[in-house]
Amino acid sequence: MVKRLVALALLAVFGLVFATLLTGYAPDAELNQTARYYAERTAADLGAANIVTAIIVTYRGLDTLGEVTVLFLAAAIVGLVLAEGAHDRSRMRPPVGELLTTGTRFLVPMILLLGAYVFVNGHLTPGGGFQGGAIIASAVLLMLLADPLRHFSHRLISAIESLAGILYVAIGIAGLFLAGGFLDNRILPLGNLGELASAGAIPLIYSLIGLKVGAEFSSMLASLSETEEP
Amino acid sequence: MVINALHILATGLGAAFLTGLLDEKRNGLAFMITLGALAFMSAVSAGWLVLFAATGAHPMDIQTAGTPPPFAIALRMGLAEAALLTLINLAGLFAAMHMGETLLARGRRAMAVLLVMVMALCGLVLTRDLFNLFVFFELIVIATGGLVLLSDDERAVSAGFKYLIVSQFISVLLLVGIVFGYHATGTLNIDGMAEQGSGAFALAFFLILIAVAAELKPFPANGWALDIYESAHPGFAALFSAAAASAALFAFDKVLAIGGAEWLPVATGIGIVSFVAGNLLALPQTNDRRLLGYSSIAQSGLILVAIGQQDILGEHYLFIAGGLLLSHAVAKAGLYWLSGFVAGRELTDWAALRQRPLLVLAFVTGIAMLSGLPPFPGFYAKWELVHLLANEGRLALLGWILFGALVEAGYLFRWFGYAIKRESAHTIDCPPDRVIPVIAALLAGWALGFAWGELSGRSNLLLVLPLLFALAFLLLEWAPAWLKNTLAIGGLSLYFLQTWQDYDPLRLIFLVIFTLGGAIIFLASFHAHGRRIGFYPSAMTMFAGMVLLLQATDSFGFFAAWELLTIGSYFLILRGKESEPHALSYIVFSLGGAFLILAGFAIAAASVVTLAPSGAVSPAPTFEIASLATLAQPVAPWVFLLLAIGFMTKTAAIGLHIWLPGAHAEAETDVSPMVSGVLLKAGLYGLFVLLMSMGRQSLYGVDLVNLMLWIGAITALLGNLMAIFQEDAKRLLAYSSIGQMGYALFGLALMNHLGWLMALMFVINHYVYKSMLFLSVGGVAKRTGTRAMYQMGGLITLMPLSFIATLVGIIAMSGVPPLSGFGGRWIFYNAIMDADTRLPMVLIFLSGPIAFLYLFRLIHTIFLGQLKDEHRRLKEAPLSIVLPQMIYVAILIGVAIFPGLILRRVDAYISQFLPDGALNWEGLTITSQYGWWNPVAIMIVVACIFLLIFGWLLFVNRKAQKVKQFNIVFSAERPYRPETTHFAWNFFAPYKKAMGFLVQPFVTRFWGAITDLLHTAGDLGRRLYNGNGQIYAFHFLIFVVVVFVSQLGM
Amino acid sequence: MVHVVMATGFLLILIGFYGALTHRNLLRMIVAFTVADTGVNVVIVSVGHMRGRSAPILDRAVAAADAVQRIIDPVPQALVLTAIVIGVGVTALMLAYAWRIYRQHRTLDIARLTALKG
Repeated sequence: MVKRLVALALLAVFGLVFATLLTGYAPDAELNQTARYYAERTAADLGAANIVTAIIVTYRGLDTLGEVTVLFLAAAIVGLVLAEGAHDRSRMRPPVGELLTTGTRFLVPMILLLGAYVFVNGHLTPGGGFQGGAIIASAVLLMLLADPLRHFSHRLISAIESLAGILYVAIGIAGLFLAGGFLDNRILPLGNLGELASAGAIPLIYSLIGLKVGAEFSSMLASLSETEEP
Repeated sequence: MVINALHILATGLGAAFLTGLLDEKRNGLAFMITLGALAFMSAVSAGWLVLFAATGAHPMDIQTAGTPPPFAIALRMGLAEAALLTLINLAGLFAAMHMGETLLARGRRAMAVLLVMVMALCGLVLTRDLFNLFVFFELIVIATGGLVLLSDDERAVSAGFKYLIVSQFISVLLLVGIVFGYHATGTLNIDGMAEQGSGAFALAFFLILIAVAAELKPFPANGWALDIYESAHPGFAALFSAAAASAALFAFDKVLAIGGAEWLPVATGIGIVSFVAGNLLALPQTNDRRLLGYSSIAQSGLILVAIGQQDILGEHYLFIAGGLLLSHAVAKAGLYWLSGFVAGRELTDWAALRQRPLLVLAFVTGIAMLSGLPPFPGFYAKWELVHLLANEGRLALLGWILFGALVEAGYLFRWFGYAIKRESAHTIDCPPDRVIPVIAALLAGWALGFAWGELSGRSNLLLVLPLLFALAFLLLEWAPAWLKNTLAIGGLSLYFLQTWQDYDPLRLIFLVIFTLGGAIIFLASFHAHGRRIGFYPSAMTMFAGMVLLLQATDSFGFFAAWELLTIGSYFLILRGKESEPHALSYIVFSLGGAFLILAGFAIAAASVVTLAPSGAVSPAPTFEIASLATLAQPVAPWVFLLLAIGFMTKTAAIGLHIWLPGAHAEAETDVSPMVSGVLLKAGLYGLFVLLMSMGRQSLYGVDLVNLMLWIGAITALLGNLMAIFQEDAKRLLAYSSIGQMGYALFGLALMNHLGWLMALMFVINHYVYKSMLFLSVGGVAKRTGTRAMYQMGGLITLMPLSFIATLVGIIAMSGVPPLSGFGGRWIFYNAIMDADTRLPMVLIFLSGPIAFLYLFRLIHTIFLGQLKDEHRRLKEAPLSIVLPQMIYVAILIGVAIFPGLILRRVDAYISQFLPDGALNWEGLTITSQYGWWNPVAIMIVVACIFLLIFGWLLFVNRKAQKVKQFNIVFSAERPYRPETTHFAWNFFAPYKKAMGFLVQPFVTRFWGAITDLLHTAGDLGRRLYNGNGQIYAFHFLIFVVVVFVSQLGM
Repeated sequence: MVHVVMATGFLLILIGFYGALTHRNLLRMIVAFTVADTGVNVVIVSVGHMRGRSAPILDRAVAAADAVQRIIDPVPQALVLTAIVIGVGVTALMLAYAWRIYRQHRTLDIARLTALKG
């Protein structure tokens, strides 16, 4: 009880802080200097139609590399933690049902296709590598639901993940030598705004991110599914 | 040619991804890739460091995405960044090496996590983008969460979870702050935000700052960190403390730049509270890693204080903050790695380290670095910091810093004492992959010491010849003791021969005692066999400190020398069999005194500057000792007070004396005379210098010199009084030293010509007879195996030379004719007649006969009386111990006959300061205004009287019959406590009844109560940390609210 | 309108904090944190919103030339993606930890994981 009261008292102070922030907040009427720069220059400089993607993949590419690494780390650690829990899963399980099995067979290719579409078109439309990767992983989740005993090759997953990661870093370094700096997308021609093959290395990078994120989520899911309490 | 800093990040990441390509089985290869990547990252960072250090180039901005900041993330590489990156990457490399076994067992994933951790720490240092900072912070959080799991300790899992809980709170606040900061400034670039100032988004900035501050594990929002420190793999704990804390501090500094000067007090406040609380809470710890954790928190707090004080540190900022930070990082990493060798987790388990002297050296190096002792960077940094604080009048902060530092030194040296003196059942094995990191930290520590000495702009202590000579003995540890002893004697003598012309008569006297006096005592050290590891570096450091003290003309040199002699003597004292607690109280009192001296110098320096007529703009952190004389009111008396107490700690004035008896009595046979006969004189030298330059001072109407006079008199009385009740011969001598120093203090405080002359007589005489007595008693104790006097007796025939030395010693000391003690007394009484303070004089007169009471027991109980059965086959003490005693006998007689030999010159020298009342030296006769004294005549008279009486006694007793000692029959009873039946036990019981109240251990109880109080405070503080991760979240939120409210209030 | 969204975000944060401070079950705490994380994300997105403007994607509707007048601030949108992903990573990690803790101690009560203290 005391704990709840203290918590409420503390949160009251935070509420006050947040309320002050809230009442002091006035939406901008014009874009600020940074946003204006992106609005004016992205198309010309980077050739990407989706400005958010340009920011994510190029202008703030280092953040995104870090972000990918967060997932990589999480997957690695989850694997590390759960590795010792992996055990024999040959126990009989009740069948999961015709509907799910058939549905899975039908849906998985389409989900994979959608995922790929989302990350390949990340520089043109809403979406991108993270969204696409998550969609791909949802296919894996579906397969696991349909067949909990299915074994995914960790080696394959981690090979995809690692390869995508290494290529990502390599493209970043290529930017150092071939263009203006680390993760500069202008190592490839910018093409015409709005076309699939435009925006330099952005589609390439976003595709790699998509693969990598998909692999990371899949790896976490696979690790989790392998650890069940006997 | 340096490589783009981005390659550091790219290498770390690339290698982490690469390990994923490898087969699960190929851990060896993955490990090689990990080490290779970390080595490459270290090399690139070191390349930048060399570039910046060598050329002084400006920091370089590194763009990403081919777009200038603030539109793309930019990094910056400068001197500080390069230094930190080198530290981080090397720490990572050695941590990987240290954890090799674990990493190989856990496989490539663990290695990838480690690589990402190091990469993220580098990124945190490099980035200039606020949101990017957040990303790296989160990477560090997650990587920490992973690396914590590598521990064998099962509790680590819950520690990691507690960390994640708090991190979640932190990251929410950070994100909210960042996005509102972005809204207010239209940029995420730190420099861009700093240009606009935080005025427009103070609240958001507060959230950012407090979130980053929480990563520094400030008190009390740090329970999770302590649990991690305690339970994590030591290899990772080293990285967590050395690299992660350093990077977080740097990040805090970057963020603080946005807020500007008005936010500096927040840093100072959080810092000083963490520093003091961290150290207090460390005091009751018994788990080594948790103790190191508390110490890490405290050290981060200290660095935070430096960050908060950057407005006054100016160009010294990097030197101070960097010195503290690197000292801490290297030392802490080394200590955590060392803890990997120790099997048990109790502090006392570190005794196992003794099996490997090299590891002990690494241990002591780490402790000295953490305590800020010379010659390590923390020492220089602390000197500058304290001076700049004093210069700005921030004395309260200064006081708290010194207090915290003293507490820290207290628990660190207590721990070191355990390691040296306790027993451990564990053995230590030294696989190379674990030894290399420790050695790297050891070497880095000394290298940093050298670098900071060079950067300090003062004399580099590691280039000072006497200290180098002392340290050279570290490299000679393989050699036999006799060789090292010969070298030590040679070195001291040579130093004397080379330099004696440079000194005025007063300093020359001290020089003779410090060098030749030391050399004579070293003759006794020839009795030791084997290699005697640790003895010579310690002893020679002490002597180096003492000669440097004489050489010093400026305050810095003086203080550095003071600390050196303190450390050296501490190690010497610690060598005694039972000396662990006494050595600890010695070092705590000495460092406490040293800190007072430091504070005194700093305050003085601030005033010396304002007085400087040349209009010097920057404060002069050092000043000529002689210019203490130019200090004016109101600073002067305070400086005087601080310095006087500091020096009186060393001379063991009453109230500050409790360390001495144990320290001197428990020391080894040849160490007791060194620390008693020689070392105490350093304190007297300090008092001489102080009084010569500052003269009389008064505070609130109290004449401070008069106060010293009283302290001297009381010390003399009580010191002697306590001595008479001792059963332990060496303790008796130790208490007697307290009394003797009281005399000297009294003489000095008389502030007249003869008083000073007498004090100098005491300097010489006390050296001679105290060294001699300690040696002869030490020799006896060595032969009999006991120091309790009632267990001895009748040794006169078996150890005649020791007897002669003791006899001559006590005659000289008690001040009866004909030996030099009488000369001292004579001058002394003349001096008293000169002064007009009669009451303390009475005390001094009283203590004379009291001294005789205990001195005579040495002869009476040890050498006369009945020989003990078990002592019948004893031999004279070894030649090496007897030889110096005979030299002292010769010196005493020489000084007795020709006191003018030395004193005349000093007499003339003192006339410069106190012209009135000089003695008149004519041939062998010395005249004062009250009478004359002819030592030779007295000698002849006394000799005649002695021979007459002796002859008469022989004549009267010519018919006496000799009785064999054992021709009587003992009764069959066996007493419960045999010593109670011995006549010499509790010899002065009647006096004790009468005067015992004077020797009640009030002072000991007082200091004991203070220590208990500190321990209790620490124990109460510990209860905050009840282990519940949710409560730790409360701590964090309360911390935020408290800082918030206090910042609003300002 | 924006203020309402932002207020909702802050409220979610406070609710999440309250839950994390009062529930002793690790899984509930983790859920509470995801609530708070969501709140933060809502706040971030609301900061970038500008009335009457469209998403920062250049197409037929928004030409590159007048993008400055037509689009909202793209930066918070980029930031929120990163924040979301990081939140997912941390949540996954915490879940793995919870699993491990349960395996070791057979409890999910945070108040019972107090082997380390003082």
